[in-house]
Amino acid sequence: MNARDVAVALLRLMPDSIFVSSLGTATSALRAASHDGPHFYLGGAMGSALPAAMGVADALPQASVVALVGDGELLMSTGMLWSLSAYRPRNLIVVVLANGVYGITGGQPLPLPGGFVQAAESLGVIAARRVASEEGVREALAELGRPALIEAKVDQDGWPGPSPFVDPAAVRVAFRTRVDALAERRV
Amino acid sequence: MILENDAAECPHDWQQIIAATLHERGVTAAAYVPDTRLDGILVRLGQLGTSLRSLSREEECIGYACGQLMAGARAAALFQSSGLGNAVNALAGLAVPYRLGVPLIISMRGTLGEANPSQIPGGRIVVPILDALGIQSFMVRRADEVGQVVAGVLTLCFDAHESAAVLLGPELEGCRERA
Repeated sequence: MNARDVAVALLRLMPDSIFVSSLGTATSALRAASHDGPHFYLGGAMGSALPAAMGVADALPQASVVALVGDGELLMSTGMLWSLSAYRPRNLIVVVLANGVYGITGGQPLPLPGGFVQAAESLGVIAARRVASEEGVREALAELGRPALIEAKVDQDGWPGPSPFVDPAAVRVAFRTRVDALAERRV
Repeated sequence: MILENDAAECPHDWQQIIAATLHERGVTAAAYVPDTRLDGILVRLGQLGTSLRSLSREEECIGYACGQLMAGARAAALFQSSGLGNAVNALAGLAVPYRLGVPLIISMRGTLGEANPSQIPGGRIVVPILDALGIQSFMVRRADEVGQVVAGVLTLCFDAHESAAVLLGPELEGCRERA
């Protein structure tokens, strides 16, 4: 799979979910796969996507929330696995694009790639699985409880989509418009 | 968990005022890294029904609050000044450019009366860091000024969409410093 394949599969399987994507590869892949849909794209603040996703999930308990994050990104916020285990948001799933490199900075290798599934499972709360195909993504989404972590192996190179340098104001307005529409639908 | 215990104490008036003001302005979630002087605020917030999240780093608190604000809820981040450095990337790359108006309640260390040398450089850089980020900060030293300052900071955050900080000075009751 490439990063865009993962994003396409997630959007097809969870079309109503709200996505929060980390800077770089994840935001670029989600932008491409969703045709710049109304998601929460981060353009900076490496390590902040997962806490932001947990904030969205807690604020919108009726919504399904997906944190689409790079593996380098998650290395910077591994403490969040403890936070997820402590507070157990039942509407949040973490999908790690595990390509083993820091894509946005030039493809430098992570010193020790992978390990996210073992780390999550060791805490005893987060359902976790490693997948390497779109079918694997589908099965994991169907079978894992929440909160969950899916480590999606990305083994095809290539930049997944448009620039990850998003306009924060445009992202905020589009996202809030979608959230307001969700709220109106529930009234 | 002690902060969710109704019997836990909120011993100081200024702590109760901060909690009440946050609650009155619609704050429904608070993300924090623990600090002795914040405990009383958090106890009262918990009693008022605020969702409390003890997170592992200060930048997580910023990210979490930003997620809440993006989703249309109101949240605040509370931590000790020694952790502000941990939060800079989340402030600079998320809260500020996305204009999410995160209220920061920062318990000051490393200033008047500080006995720990390792806290002092961190205390000196709080205001310069916030200034460099364009985040206005307001030191409170007396209980009778807390309500007005917190209310004003929340207006900056929720109406003007500018992150702003309340700095809890060591002169307030309940500090470990010998001010």
